[in-house]
Amino acid sequence: MRAALAAVGLAVCSQLAHGDEIPRLTFAQLVDSIRANFEVTQTIKSYNGKEVEIQGFIIPAGPPDLSFFLLSRVSAMGNYCCEVPVGQDETVYVYAPKGTKILYDPLRVYKVRGAFEAGLHTDRTYGVSLYRLRDARVEEAAGAKIFKDR
Amino acid sequence: MTVLTVALKYLRGRLVASALTSLSVALGISLVIASVLLSRGIQQGFIEGTTDYSLLVGAKGSPTQLVLNVVFRMDLPTPNISYSTYQDLQNDPRVEVAVPVAMGDAYQGFRYVATTADYFAPFQWRRKTFAIADGRFFRADAREQPAYEAVLGADAARRTGLRVGDRFHEGEEMAEYPLTVVGILRSTNSADDRTIFFSLATYWEMNEVSRKMKIKPLTAVLVRPKRMSDLPGLHRGLNVVVETQGVFPSAVLLNIFNILSMVDEVVAIMLAAVILVVLLYLFVSMYSATLERKREIATMRALGARRATILEIVLLESCALTVIGGALGIAGGHGVAYVGASMLAGRAGPVGNLFVVGSLEPVVFGGAIALGALAGLLPAVLAYRTEVAENLAPLS
Repeated sequence: MRAALAAVGLAVCSQLAHGDEIPRLTFAQLVDSIRANFEVTQTIKSYNGKEVEIQGFIIPAGPPDLSFFLLSRVSAMGNYCCEVPVGQDETVYVYAPKGTKILYDPLRVYKVRGAFEAGLHTDRTYGVSLYRLRDARVEEAAGAKIFKDR
Repeated sequence: MTVLTVALKYLRGRLVASALTSLSVALGISLVIASVLLSRGIQQGFIEGTTDYSLLVGAKGSPTQLVLNVVFRMDLPTPNISYSTYQDLQNDPRVEVAVPVAMGDAYQGFRYVATTADYFAPFQWRRKTFAIADGRFFRADAREQPAYEAVLGADAARRTGLRVGDRFHEGEEMAEYPLTVVGILRSTNSADDRTIFFSLATYWEMNEVSRKMKIKPLTAVLVRPKRMSDLPGLHRGLNVVVETQGVFPSAVLLNIFNILSMVDEVVAIMLAAVILVVLLYLFVSMYSATLERKREIATMRALGARRATILEIVLLESCALTVIGGALGIAGGHGVAYVGASMLAGRAGPVGNLFVVGSLEPVVFGGAIALGALAGLLPAVLAYRTEVAENLAPLS
Protein backbone atom coordinates (compact mmCIF):
# COMPACT_ATOMS: atom_id res chain seq x y z
CA MET A 1 0.00 0.00 0.00
CA ARG A 2 2.79 2.38 1.02
CA ALA A 3 4.71 1.51 -2.16
CA ALA A 4 1.63 2.21 -4.30
CA LEU A 5 1.12 5.63 -2.65
CA ALA A 6 4.78 6.50 -3.20
CA ALA A 7 4.49 5.54 -6.87
CA VAL A 8 1.39 7.75 -7.30
CA GLY A 9 3.14 10.64 -5.53
CA LEU A 10 6.19 10.28 -7.73
CA ALA A 11 4.06 10.22 -10.86
CA VAL A 12 2.22 13.41 -9.79
CA CYS A 13 5.50 15.19 -8.98
CA SER A 14 7.08 14.25 -12.28
CA GLN A 15 3.95 15.46 -14.11
CA LEU A 16 4.20 18.83 -12.34
CA ALA A 17 7.88 19.13 -13.08
CA HIS A 18 7.25 18.24 -16.71
CA GLY A 19 4.34 20.71 -16.85
CA ASP A 20 6.58 23.54 -15.56
CA GLU A 21 9.21 22.96 -18.21
CA ILE A 22 9.38 25.55 -20.96
CA PRO A 23 10.29 24.13 -24.36
CA ARG A 24 13.50 25.42 -25.83
CA LEU A 25 13.72 26.22 -29.52
CA THR A 26 17.07 26.47 -31.27
CA PHE A 27 18.01 28.56 -34.28
CA ALA A 28 18.75 25.32 -36.14
CA GLN A 29 15.13 24.24 -35.58
CA LEU A 30 13.86 27.63 -36.75
CA VAL A 31 15.96 27.58 -39.92
CA ASP A 32 15.06 23.95 -40.65
CA SER A 33 11.38 24.68 -40.28
CA ILE A 34 11.30 26.90 -43.36
CA ARG A 35 10.06 25.25 -46.51
CA ALA A 36 10.90 26.30 -50.03
CA ASN A 37 7.77 28.44 -50.22
CA PHE A 38 8.77 30.30 -47.03
CA GLU A 39 6.04 28.57 -45.08
CA VAL A 40 6.77 27.53 -41.53
CA THR A 41 6.24 23.85 -40.68
CA GLN A 42 3.31 22.80 -38.55
CA THR A 43 5.67 21.53 -35.85
CA ILE A 44 7.08 24.99 -35.26
CA LYS A 45 3.65 26.58 -35.70
CA SER A 46 2.35 24.33 -32.93
CA TYR A 47 4.37 26.46 -30.50
CA ASN A 48 2.38 29.57 -31.49
CA GLY A 49 1.17 31.41 -28.41
CA LYS A 50 3.09 29.11 -26.07
CA GLU A 51 5.93 30.21 -23.88
CA VAL A 52 9.26 29.06 -25.25
CA GLU A 53 12.91 29.69 -24.51
CA ILE A 54 15.41 30.71 -27.16
CA GLN A 55 19.07 31.34 -26.48
CA GLY A 56 21.05 33.79 -28.56
CA PHE A 57 22.99 37.02 -28.81
CA ILE A 58 21.15 40.30 -28.28
CA ILE A 59 21.35 42.82 -31.11
CA PRO A 60 19.89 46.10 -29.80
CA ALA A 61 18.16 47.15 -33.00
CA GLY A 62 15.41 49.03 -31.15
CA PRO A 63 15.51 51.62 -28.37
CA PRO A 64 18.06 51.27 -25.56
CA ASP A 65 15.37 50.31 -23.05
CA LEU A 66 15.35 46.97 -24.92
CA SER A 67 11.61 47.02 -25.44
CA PHE A 68 12.54 45.58 -28.83
CA PHE A 69 15.66 43.74 -29.89
CA LEU A 70 16.84 41.04 -32.24
CA LEU A 71 17.97 37.67 -30.99
CA SER A 72 20.58 36.10 -33.22
CA ARG A 73 22.55 32.87 -33.27
CA VAL A 74 25.71 34.91 -33.95
CA SER A 75 26.95 38.05 -32.26
CA ALA A 76 26.76 41.06 -34.55
CA MET A 77 29.85 42.48 -32.90
CA GLY A 78 33.06 40.97 -31.65
CA ASN A 79 35.80 39.42 -33.73
CA TYR A 80 33.57 38.21 -36.53
CA CYS A 81 34.08 34.51 -36.02
CA CYS A 82 31.11 33.39 -38.04
CA GLU A 83 28.85 34.31 -40.90
CA VAL A 84 26.16 36.75 -39.76
CA PRO A 85 22.52 35.77 -40.08
CA VAL A 86 21.12 36.95 -43.38
CA GLY A 87 17.58 35.63 -43.49
CA GLN A 88 14.52 36.35 -41.42
CA ASP A 89 14.50 32.72 -40.30
CA GLU A 90 17.83 33.28 -38.55
CA THR A 91 16.70 36.18 -36.41
CA VAL A 92 13.99 36.35 -33.77
CA TYR A 93 12.24 39.68 -33.17
CA VAL A 94 11.85 40.11 -29.40
CA TYR A 95 9.28 42.42 -27.86
CA ALA A 96 9.92 42.94 -24.16
CA PRO A 97 8.02 45.04 -21.64
CA LYS A 98 9.62 48.46 -21.28
CA GLY A 99 12.33 48.51 -18.73
CA THR A 100 14.07 45.23 -19.40
CA LYS A 101 17.29 46.08 -17.65
CA ILE A 102 20.37 43.97 -18.15
CA LEU A 103 24.09 44.43 -18.02
CA TYR A 104 24.41 44.21 -21.78
CA ASP A 105 27.25 42.26 -23.28
CA PRO A 106 27.22 41.82 -27.07
CA LEU A 107 29.41 38.73 -26.78
CA ARG A 108 27.22 36.83 -24.34
CA VAL A 109 24.44 34.35 -25.01
CA TYR A 110 21.23 35.28 -23.23
CA LYS A 111 18.33 33.03 -22.38
CA VAL A 112 15.12 34.74 -23.49
CA ARG A 113 11.62 33.49 -22.75
CA GLY A 114 8.36 34.72 -24.16
CA ALA A 115 5.21 33.89 -26.08
CA PHE A 116 6.30 32.46 -29.44
CA GLU A 117 4.83 33.48 -32.78
CA ALA A 118 5.74 31.97 -36.16
CA GLY A 119 4.65 33.23 -39.57
CA LEU A 120 5.04 36.42 -41.55
CA HIS A 121 3.83 39.49 -39.71
CA THR A 122 4.26 43.19 -40.38
CA ASP A 123 4.80 45.51 -37.45
CA ARG A 124 4.20 49.24 -37.88
CA THR A 125 7.52 50.13 -36.27
CA TYR A 126 9.79 47.18 -36.90
CA GLY A 127 8.54 45.86 -40.25
CA VAL A 128 8.23 42.29 -41.46
CA SER A 129 9.31 39.37 -39.31
CA LEU A 130 9.01 35.61 -39.38
CA TYR A 131 9.64 34.64 -35.76
CA ARG A 132 8.73 36.70 -32.71
CA LEU A 133 8.78 36.47 -28.94
CA ARG A 134 6.16 38.63 -27.23
CA ASP A 135 6.10 39.70 -23.57
CA ALA A 136 9.62 38.42 -23.45
CA ARG A 137 12.00 38.54 -20.54
CA VAL A 138 15.70 38.05 -20.46
CA GLU A 139 16.14 35.20 -18.02
CA GLU A 140 19.84 34.89 -17.60
CA ALA A 141 23.25 34.86 -19.09
CA ALA A 142 26.04 32.87 -17.53
CA GLY A 143 27.88 35.07 -15.05
CA ALA A 144 25.95 38.22 -15.91
CA LYS A 145 23.84 40.19 -13.49
CA ILE A 146 20.20 40.49 -14.50
CA PHE A 147 18.09 43.24 -12.96
CA LYS A 148 14.42 42.48 -12.66
CA ASP A 149 13.36 45.18 -10.27
CA ARG A 150 12.18 47.89 -12.61
CA MET B 1 -4.49 63.37 26.09
CA THR B 2 -3.62 60.78 23.44
CA VAL B 3 -0.31 58.94 23.13
CA LEU B 4 0.48 60.91 19.97
CA THR B 5 -0.14 64.26 21.72
CA VAL B 6 2.27 63.26 24.49
CA ALA B 7 4.89 62.20 21.93
CA LEU B 8 4.55 65.53 20.08
CA LYS B 9 4.74 67.44 23.35
CA TYR B 10 7.98 65.65 24.12
CA LEU B 11 9.32 66.68 20.70
CA ARG B 12 8.36 70.31 21.30
CA GLY B 13 9.95 70.10 24.73
CA ARG B 14 13.38 69.66 23.14
CA LEU B 15 12.73 71.65 20.01
CA VAL B 16 16.32 72.34 18.95
CA ALA B 17 17.44 68.74 19.37
CA SER B 18 14.30 67.47 17.57
CA ALA B 19 14.75 69.95 14.71
CA LEU B 20 18.41 68.99 14.28
CA THR B 21 17.58 65.27 14.31
CA SER B 22 14.82 65.76 11.73
CA LEU B 23 17.19 67.85 9.64
CA SER B 24 19.82 65.12 9.63
CA VAL B 25 17.17 62.60 8.56
CA ALA B 26 16.03 65.05 5.86
CA LEU B 27 19.59 65.48 4.56
CA GLY B 28 20.11 61.71 4.37
CA ILE B 29 16.77 61.16 2.61
CA SER B 30 17.33 64.05 0.19
CA LEU B 31 20.72 62.57 -0.78
CA VAL B 32 19.05 59.23 -1.55
CA ILE B 33 16.19 60.83 -3.49
CA ALA B 34 18.41 63.22 -5.46
CA SER B 35 20.96 60.59 -6.48
CA VAL B 36 18.29 58.07 -7.53
CA LEU B 37 16.31 60.72 -9.46
CA LEU B 38 19.38 62.08 -11.22
CA SER B 39 20.74 58.65 -12.13
CA ARG B 40 17.32 57.60 -13.45
CA GLY B 41 16.87 60.97 -15.20
CA ILE B 42 20.21 60.76 -17.02
CA GLN B 43 19.43 57.24 -18.24
CA GLN B 44 15.92 58.31 -19.27
CA GLY B 45 17.40 61.35 -21.03
CA PHE B 46 19.59 59.07 -23.15
CA ILE B 47 16.65 56.77 -23.91
CA GLU B 48 14.28 59.60 -24.87
CA GLY B 49 16.90 61.57 -26.76
CA THR B 50 18.26 58.76 -28.88
CA THR B 51 17.73 58.42 -32.60
CA ASP B 52 14.98 56.39 -34.25
CA TYR B 53 17.52 55.04 -36.74
CA SER B 54 18.86 51.58 -35.97
CA LEU B 55 22.30 52.00 -37.52
CA LEU B 56 24.79 54.81 -37.56
CA VAL B 57 27.59 54.79 -40.11
CA GLY B 58 30.74 56.82 -39.61
CA ALA B 59 34.49 56.75 -39.96
CA LYS B 60 36.55 54.12 -38.15
CA GLY B 61 37.18 55.13 -34.56
CA SER B 62 35.27 55.21 -31.32
CA PRO B 63 31.62 54.10 -31.60
CA THR B 64 30.86 56.04 -28.41
CA GLN B 65 32.30 59.25 -29.85
CA LEU B 66 30.29 58.75 -33.03
CA VAL B 67 26.99 58.26 -31.17
CA LEU B 68 27.61 61.01 -28.59
CA ASN B 69 28.51 63.49 -31.29
CA VAL B 70 25.99 62.68 -34.00
CA VAL B 71 23.02 61.81 -31.80
CA PHE B 72 23.62 63.83 -28.62
CA ARG B 73 25.79 66.70 -29.98
CA MET B 74 28.44 65.99 -27.36
CA ASP B 75 32.16 65.31 -27.82
CA LEU B 76 34.01 66.12 -31.06
CA PRO B 77 33.03 64.82 -34.50
CA THR B 78 34.70 61.65 -35.78
CA PRO B 79 36.76 61.98 -38.99
CA ASN B 80 34.91 62.38 -42.28
CA ILE B 81 33.55 59.70 -44.55
CA SER B 82 32.95 60.34 -48.23
CA TYR B 83 29.59 61.22 -49.74
CA SER B 84 29.83 58.05 -51.83
CA THR B 85 29.27 55.97 -48.66
CA TYR B 86 25.87 57.65 -48.39
CA GLN B 87 25.15 57.06 -52.07
CA ASP B 88 26.09 53.38 -51.75
CA LEU B 89 23.76 53.00 -48.79
CA GLN B 90 20.98 54.81 -50.62
CA ASN B 91 21.33 52.33 -53.48
CA ASP B 92 21.53 49.30 -51.20
CA PRO B 93 18.31 47.26 -51.65
CA ARG B 94 18.30 46.46 -47.92
CA VAL B 95 18.12 50.14 -46.93
CA GLU B 96 14.81 51.95 -46.59
CA VAL B 97 16.14 55.38 -45.61
CA ALA B 98 19.67 56.76 -45.40
CA VAL B 99 20.15 60.26 -44.02
CA PRO B 100 23.48 62.06 -44.47
CA VAL B 101 24.75 64.16 -41.58
CA ALA B 102 27.73 66.52 -41.49
CA MET B 103 28.74 67.98 -38.15
CA GLY B 104 30.04 71.52 -38.32
CA ASP B 105 31.25 74.13 -35.87
CA ALA B 106 28.86 76.03 -33.63
CA TYR B 107 27.20 79.38 -33.00
CA GLN B 108 27.32 80.42 -29.35
CA GLY B 109 27.93 76.77 -28.50
CA PHE B 110 24.98 75.44 -30.52
CA ARG B 111 26.28 72.86 -32.98
CA TYR B 112 25.85 73.18 -36.73
CA VAL B 113 24.37 70.06 -38.36
CA ALA B 114 24.09 69.84 -42.13
CA THR B 115 21.60 67.33 -43.46
CA THR B 116 18.71 66.79 -45.87
CA ALA B 117 14.92 67.05 -45.50
CA ASP B 118 14.82 63.31 -44.69
CA TYR B 119 16.22 64.11 -41.25
CA PHE B 120 12.91 65.77 -40.36
CA ALA B 121 10.59 63.45 -42.35
CA PRO B 122 7.69 61.85 -40.47
CA PHE B 123 8.21 58.19 -41.34
CA GLN B 124 5.63 55.74 -40.04
CA TRP B 125 8.14 54.08 -37.72
CA ARG B 126 9.44 57.27 -36.14
CA ARG B 127 8.75 58.18 -32.53
CA LYS B 128 10.16 61.66 -32.89
CA THR B 129 8.23 64.27 -34.84
CA PHE B 130 9.63 67.54 -36.09
CA ALA B 131 7.33 70.51 -36.53
CA ILE B 132 8.04 74.11 -37.39
CA ALA B 133 7.02 76.63 -34.72
CA ASP B 134 7.86 79.63 -36.88
CA GLY B 135 8.93 80.03 -40.52
CA ARG B 136 9.77 76.99 -42.68
CA PHE B 137 12.40 74.29 -43.26
CA PHE B 138 15.52 75.20 -45.28
CA ARG B 139 15.36 74.75 -49.06
CA ALA B 140 16.86 71.74 -50.83
CA ASP B 141 19.47 73.89 -52.55
CA ALA B 142 21.73 72.84 -55.40
CA ARG B 143 25.39 72.16 -54.65
CA GLU B 144 26.47 75.10 -56.81
CA GLN B 145 23.95 77.52 -55.30
CA PRO B 146 23.85 77.16 -51.53
CA ALA B 147 21.03 79.09 -49.88
CA TYR B 148 22.72 79.65 -46.48
CA GLU B 149 19.37 79.08 -44.79
CA ALA B 150 19.29 77.84 -41.21
CA VAL B 151 16.61 76.19 -39.07
CA LEU B 152 17.10 76.50 -35.32
CA GLY B 153 16.16 74.03 -32.61
CA ALA B 154 13.86 75.40 -29.90
CA ASP B 155 16.57 75.90 -27.25
CA ALA B 156 19.08 77.29 -29.74
CA ALA B 157 16.54 79.93 -30.83
CA ARG B 158 15.51 80.79 -27.28
CA ARG B 159 19.02 81.09 -25.90
CA THR B 160 20.63 82.92 -28.82
CA GLY B 161 17.62 85.22 -29.26
CA LEU B 162 17.72 84.66 -33.03
CA ARG B 163 14.45 85.03 -34.90
CA VAL B 164 13.25 84.25 -38.41
CA GLY B 165 14.94 86.66 -40.80
CA ASP B 166 18.01 87.27 -38.62
CA ARG B 167 21.45 86.78 -40.14
CA PHE B 168 24.32 85.42 -38.07
CA HIS B 169 27.83 83.98 -38.18
CA GLU B 170 30.43 83.02 -35.59
CA GLY B 171 33.92 84.45 -35.89
CA GLU B 172 35.22 86.89 -38.46
CA GLU B 173 36.34 84.04 -40.73
CA MET B 174 32.71 83.16 -41.37
CA ALA B 175 31.53 86.74 -41.96
CA GLU B 176 31.68 85.98 -45.66
CA TYR B 177 29.07 83.24 -45.26
CA PRO B 178 26.34 84.52 -42.93
CA LEU B 179 23.38 82.22 -42.33
CA THR B 180 19.80 83.44 -42.43
CA VAL B 181 17.25 82.00 -39.98
CA VAL B 182 14.28 80.71 -41.99
CA GLY B 183 12.65 78.52 -39.38
CA ILE B 184 12.47 77.59 -35.72
CA LEU B 185 11.54 74.06 -34.64
CA ARG B 186 9.17 73.04 -31.89
CA SER B 187 10.84 71.34 -28.96
CA THR B 188 11.59 67.63 -29.43
CA ASN B 189 13.10 67.09 -25.96
CA SER B 190 16.31 65.93 -27.55
CA ALA B 191 19.70 67.29 -28.62
CA ASP B 192 18.03 68.59 -31.80
CA ASP B 193 16.63 71.41 -29.65
CA ARG B 194 20.18 72.65 -29.18
CA THR B 195 21.12 72.44 -32.86
CA ILE B 196 21.33 74.76 -35.86
CA PHE B 197 20.43 72.88 -39.06
CA PHE B 198 21.21 73.79 -42.65
CA SER B 199 21.70 72.08 -46.00
CA LEU B 200 24.73 70.04 -47.09
CA ALA B 201 25.34 72.44 -49.99
CA THR B 202 25.60 75.32 -47.51
CA TYR B 203 27.93 73.28 -45.29
CA TRP B 204 30.28 72.33 -48.12
CA GLU B 205 30.48 75.90 -49.39
CA MET B 206 31.08 77.38 -45.93
CA ASN B 207 33.92 74.94 -45.29
CA GLU B 208 37.17 75.99 -46.98
CA VAL B 209 38.48 72.42 -47.27
CA SER B 210 35.30 70.76 -48.53
CA ARG B 211 34.76 73.59 -51.04
CA LYS B 212 37.76 72.29 -52.98
CA MET B 213 36.96 68.58 -52.58
CA LYS B 214 35.59 66.69 -55.52
CA ILE B 215 33.95 63.97 -53.44
CA LYS B 216 32.27 65.86 -50.64
CA PRO B 217 32.68 64.86 -46.98
CA LEU B 218 30.11 63.75 -44.40
CA THR B 219 30.41 62.86 -40.74
CA ALA B 220 27.85 60.06 -40.64
CA VAL B 221 24.85 58.41 -42.24
CA LEU B 222 21.75 57.39 -40.31
CA VAL B 223 20.33 54.15 -41.67
CA ARG B 224 16.94 52.49 -41.42
CA PRO B 225 16.81 49.03 -43.02
CA LYS B 226 13.77 47.70 -44.86
CA ARG B 227 13.86 44.62 -42.64
CA MET B 228 15.40 44.58 -39.19
CA SER B 229 16.78 41.12 -39.93
CA ASP B 230 19.08 42.75 -42.51
CA LEU B 231 20.76 44.83 -39.81
CA PRO B 232 23.43 42.27 -38.81
CA GLY B 233 24.49 41.88 -42.44
CA LEU B 234 24.57 45.65 -43.05
CA HIS B 235 26.48 46.17 -39.82
CA ARG B 236 29.03 43.51 -40.66
CA GLY B 237 29.52 44.82 -44.21
CA LEU B 238 30.24 48.33 -42.96
CA ASN B 239 32.70 47.10 -40.34
CA VAL B 240 34.82 44.72 -42.39
CA VAL B 241 35.88 47.50 -44.79
CA VAL B 242 38.66 49.87 -43.75
CA GLU B 243 36.87 53.20 -44.26
CA THR B 244 33.70 52.91 -42.21
CA GLN B 245 32.17 51.54 -39.04
CA GLY B 246 28.56 50.62 -38.47
CA VAL B 247 27.27 51.24 -34.96
CA PHE B 248 24.03 50.31 -33.24
CA PRO B 249 23.31 53.48 -31.22
CA SER B 250 21.43 51.45 -28.60
CA ALA B 251 24.43 49.14 -28.11
CA VAL B 252 26.62 52.15 -27.33
CA LEU B 253 24.02 53.54 -24.91
CA LEU B 254 23.68 50.17 -23.19
CA ASN B 255 27.46 50.18 -22.68
CA ILE B 256 27.19 53.67 -21.17
CA PHE B 257 24.38 52.37 -18.90
CA ASN B 258 26.68 49.51 -17.83
CA ILE B 259 29.27 52.07 -16.72
CA LEU B 260 26.58 54.18 -15.02
CA SER B 261 25.33 51.12 -13.15
CA MET B 262 28.83 50.62 -11.70
CA VAL B 263 28.80 54.24 -10.53
CA ASP B 264 25.31 53.65 -9.10
CA GLU B 265 26.62 50.72 -7.08
CA VAL B 266 29.40 52.86 -5.57
CA VAL B 267 26.89 55.64 -4.82
CA ALA B 268 24.55 53.06 -3.21
CA ILE B 269 27.34 51.97 -0.85
CA MET B 270 28.03 55.59 0.09
CA LEU B 271 24.32 56.25 0.60
CA ALA B 272 24.04 53.16 2.82
CA ALA B 273 26.85 54.60 4.97
CA VAL B 274 25.02 57.95 5.16
CA ILE B 275 21.79 56.22 6.20
CA LEU B 276 23.68 54.27 8.87
CA VAL B 277 25.12 57.51 10.29
CA VAL B 278 21.64 59.08 10.31
CA LEU B 279 20.25 56.00 12.04
CA LEU B 280 22.97 56.16 14.70
CA TYR B 281 22.37 59.90 15.21
CA LEU B 282 18.65 59.26 15.63
CA PHE B 283 19.32 56.45 18.06
CA VAL B 284 21.72 58.55 20.18
CA SER B 285 19.21 61.42 20.20
CA MET B 286 16.34 59.18 21.33
CA TYR B 287 18.49 57.29 23.82
CA SER B 288 19.77 60.43 25.57
CA ALA B 289 16.25 61.91 25.59
CA THR B 290 14.92 58.76 27.27
CA LEU B 291 17.70 58.80 29.87
CA GLU B 292 16.95 62.45 30.66
CA ARG B 293 13.28 61.64 31.00
CA LYS B 294 13.42 58.67 33.33
CA ARG B 295 11.90 60.62 36.20
CA GLU B 296 9.01 61.87 34.06
CA ILE B 297 8.38 58.36 32.82
CA ALA B 298 8.38 57.04 36.39
CA THR B 299 5.86 59.77 37.32
CA MET B 300 3.62 58.80 34.43
CA ARG B 301 3.86 55.18 35.44
CA ALA B 302 3.02 56.12 39.06
CA LEU B 303 -0.05 57.98 37.80
CA GLY B 304 -1.29 54.83 36.07
CA ALA B 305 0.33 54.80 32.61
CA ARG B 306 0.94 51.27 31.39
CA ARG B 307 4.39 50.09 30.29
CA ALA B 308 3.05 49.54 26.76
CA THR B 309 1.87 53.17 26.64
CA ILE B 310 5.36 54.40 27.53
CA LEU B 311 6.83 52.15 24.82
CA GLU B 312 4.34 53.55 22.31
CA ILE B 313 5.15 57.17 23.21
CA VAL B 314 8.90 56.74 22.63
CA LEU B 315 8.37 54.82 19.40
CA LEU B 316 5.91 57.44 18.12
CA GLU B 317 8.34 60.21 19.02
CA SER B 318 11.11 58.53 17.05
CA CYS B 319 8.82 57.83 14.10
CA ALA B 320 7.51 61.43 14.16
CA LEU B 321 11.09 62.66 13.75
CA THR B 322 11.55 60.49 10.67
CA VAL B 323 8.12 61.41 9.26
CA ILE B 324 9.05 65.11 9.41
CA GLY B 325 12.61 64.43 8.19
CA GLY B 326 11.35 62.05 5.49
CA ALA B 327 8.83 64.55 4.11
CA LEU B 328 11.41 67.35 4.14
CA GLY B 329 14.02 65.05 2.62
CA ILE B 330 11.76 63.95 -0.24
CA ALA B 331 10.91 67.58 -1.04
CA GLY B 332 14.56 68.64 -0.65
CA GLY B 333 15.78 65.69 -2.77
CA HIS B 334 13.49 66.74 -5.59
CA GLY B 335 14.79 70.29 -5.27
CA VAL B 336 18.43 69.16 -5.40
CA ALA B 337 17.65 66.86 -8.36
CA TYR B 338 15.94 69.73 -10.17
CA VAL B 339 18.94 72.02 -9.67
CA GLY B 340 21.32 69.21 -10.74
CA ALA B 341 19.23 68.49 -13.84
CA SER B 342 19.15 72.17 -14.77
CA MET B 343 22.94 72.34 -14.46
CA LEU B 344 23.33 69.21 -16.60
CA ALA B 345 20.90 70.50 -19.20
CA GLY B 346 22.86 73.75 -19.29
CA ARG B 347 25.95 71.73 -20.14
CA ALA B 348 24.09 69.86 -22.91
CA GLY B 349 23.68 66.72 -20.81
CA PRO B 350 20.64 64.55 -21.56
CA VAL B 351 18.21 64.50 -18.64
CA GLY B 352 14.73 63.01 -18.81
CA ASN B 353 11.68 63.93 -16.76
CA LEU B 354 12.70 63.57 -13.11
CA PHE B 355 9.28 63.93 -11.62
CA VAL B 356 7.51 60.83 -12.85
CA VAL B 357 5.27 59.45 -10.13
CA GLY B 358 6.70 56.11 -9.09
CA SER B 359 7.30 53.85 -6.17
CA LEU B 360 10.51 55.63 -5.09
CA GLU B 361 8.98 58.25 -2.80
CA PRO B 362 6.50 55.95 -0.95
CA VAL B 363 9.23 53.31 -0.52
CA VAL B 364 11.75 55.86 0.82
CA PHE B 365 9.12 57.42 3.08
CA GLY B 366 8.07 54.00 4.42
CA GLY B 367 11.73 53.09 4.85
CA ALA B 368 12.35 56.28 6.82
CA ILE B 369 9.50 55.49 9.19
CA ALA B 370 10.79 51.93 9.60
CA LEU B 371 14.24 53.36 10.39
CA GLY B 372 12.62 55.66 12.93
CA ALA B 373 10.95 52.70 14.59
CA LEU B 374 14.23 50.76 14.56
CA ALA B 375 16.25 53.63 16.04
CA GLY B 376 13.59 54.20 18.70
CA LEU B 377 13.25 50.55 19.65
CA LEU B 378 16.05 50.31 22.21
CA PRO B 379 15.23 53.67 23.91
CA ALA B 380 11.57 52.56 23.95
CA VAL B 381 12.49 49.29 25.65
CA LEU B 382 14.62 51.27 28.11
CA ALA B 383 11.61 53.48 28.87
CA TYR B 384 9.37 50.41 29.06
CA ARG B 385 11.64 48.90 31.73
CA THR B 386 11.90 52.08 33.81
CA GLU B 387 11.23 51.20 37.44
CA VAL B 388 8.98 53.63 39.33
CA ALA B 389 10.56 53.13 42.73
CA GLU B 390 14.12 53.65 41.49
CA ASN B 391 13.41 56.79 39.51
CA LEU B 392 10.98 58.58 41.80
CA ALA B 393 13.44 58.80 44.67
CA PRO B 394 13.87 62.34 46.08
CA LEU B 395 16.36 64.42 44.12
CA SER B 396 18.25 65.52 47.23
